[in-house]
Amino acid sequence: MSTPILETKAITMRFGGLTAVDNFSLKIGKTDLIGVIGPNGAGKTTIFNMITGIYEPTEGIVELNGENIVGNRPAFITQKGIARTFQNIRLFKDLSVIDNIRLAGHFRVDYGLVASIFRTKKFHAEEKRLEDEAMELLKIFGLEKKKDHLAKNLPYGEQRRLEIARALGTKPSVLLLDEPAAGMNPNETKELTKLIRWVRDKFQIAILLIEHDMKLVMEVCETIYVVDHGVQIAHGVPSEIQNNPKVIEAYLGTDAE
Amino acid sequence: MFEFFLHLSPLIGINIILAVSLNLINGICGQFSLGHAGFWAVGAYTGAAYSVYGALPLPDELNLIISCGLGFIAACVAGLIIGVPCLRLRGDYLAIATLGFGEIIRIVIMNTDAIGGPRGFSGIPKWTNLFWVSLFVVITVVIIANILRGTHGRAIISIREDEIAADSMGIYTFKYKTLAFVIGAGFAGLAGSLYAHYTQFLHPNGFSFMFSVIILLMIILGGLGSITGSIVGAIILTLMPEVLRFMGETVSQWRMVIYSVLLIALMLLRPGGIFGKHEFNPLTLFKKKGEEA
Ligand SMILES: Nc1ncnc2c1ncn2[C@@H]1O[C@H](COP(=O)(O)OP(=O)(O)O)[C@@H](O)[C@H]1O
Ligand SMILES: [Mg+2]
Repeated sequence: MSTPILETKAITMRFGGLTAVDNFSLKIGKTDLIGVIGPNGAGKTTIFNMITGIYEPTEGIVELNGENIVGNRPAFITQKGIARTFQNIRLFKDLSVIDNIRLAGHFRVDYGLVASIFRTKKFHAEEKRLEDEAMELLKIFGLEKKKDHLAKNLPYGEQRRLEIARALGTKPSVLLLDEPAAGMNPNETKELTKLIRWVRDKFQIAILLIEHDMKLVMEVCETIYVVDHGVQIAHGVPSEIQNNPKVIEAYLGTDAE
Repeated sequence: MFEFFLHLSPLIGINIILAVSLNLINGICGQFSLGHAGFWAVGAYTGAAYSVYGALPLPDELNLIISCGLGFIAACVAGLIIGVPCLRLRGDYLAIATLGFGEIIRIVIMNTDAIGGPRGFSGIPKWTNLFWVSLFVVITVVIIANILRGTHGRAIISIREDEIAADSMGIYTFKYKTLAFVIGAGFAGLAGSLYAHYTQFLHPNGFSFMFSVIILLMIILGGLGSITGSIVGAIILTLMPEVLRFMGETVSQWRMVIYSVLLIALMLLRPGGIFGKHEFNPLTLFKKKGEEA
């Protein structure tokens, strides 16, 4: 593996008496596609929340390009290059599709409040750039015709796609996807499988994928981590994971979905 | 009747500024504040103190602009001082904290003798007229609308939509909550100074928590998040007491009860307010549903 772009070193998260994640370590290289699987409540989303700064790990560190990012605000971590989607989609529902994407470019915008009030040249130039970049992403995701629709009015599958597009709008070097196939039918899931691989190749970024649906992860990911009750019980390429008795017992045996 | 309307219209304008500025905080940024009367008071007393004690030898029009500017700045400062600790709270807690601060402002004024204390502040020159009110209404609406159609405004709206998602998009949510709060407070202060130079007399009891509730009613009526809605809400609720008075004393005494019934009816029939989160724009009336942005 090349030098890791993102690394968690023995991160632990305790909520009162409950240890949701226990000493979890993982490494992601520059263009890796890595999966984290585990039954419901295993601690997968909590791992994402610790990486993105929504929770501060009780113990352990998270390194982005070798630099510890624990203790920073989620906004800062996003600006440093980690973007994410959410298990239960979190779009700006009452905003248009294109405004959702424009907001991803917000922190790079180079004009102030006064420029916005007086509609200066710089304001128009920057807004134009924002719009062009947003349109480019919308085209890639086949949403350009719906740019003025409210996000909440999109069908479910398109909302998922928009959320991925919006995350890419922050120009991340690592993309975290939390159960992107949740609620999708087999057809949509197949499309998504292709899309995820394609995004990695096109944008040349690392992707960390949480899934509950084994099949998708087996197909898409090059390396898989398995967690159960907050503990990492296996780690390897899909074929190894598939035949690992521990995984079959802990994951497939108890929660075959 | 005409004279009556002439008297009322500056008050309508002042209430429009109050409603639009509160909407920036409550409806557009989604931070439930109940302290708007406090910022209004800060602006009113600051502007009045300038014209009573320190007015420069300038034309009245310039002095009005200066006193409105001072009211704006003073209320911004008050907004910053109150907003920074309060905006770390959410929902009900934020509402209670801002309500408390609003009342504290009123009590401080009550106990400051230089600005009249409980006797009220009198001797304020009458500089405000319909022209100046209209001008400041236009300025307020244009500035707030322009902010909303830029990246800072979108960031403010995104907090209302989903604060966690906004944070995850690299948006410093606390900074933008504070920005909305401070700008909203500032325009309330401006409205305060206009008000002071219109009524020529200020009394702390006129800035009580009840008036914050009335401004809140205006924006709920018009639709939280809609600027045009706030304008309509402000007009309706400024005229309402006069209409009720016209209908006789008993009806007028039941004013707050009638408001409550109206509010309940509105929540049942149109929970988002008259305009919801949207702006009234004749051009978009004919667009297909679902296409509106
Ligand atoms: N904020 C929280 N407070 C308390 N417990 C939590 C919190 N977030 C997650 N948990 C608990 O941590 C465990 C792991 O949850 P989660 O990471 O969401 O699992 P997964 O995403 O793998 O389904 C669960 O038992 C859950 O109830
Ligand atoms: Mg989860």
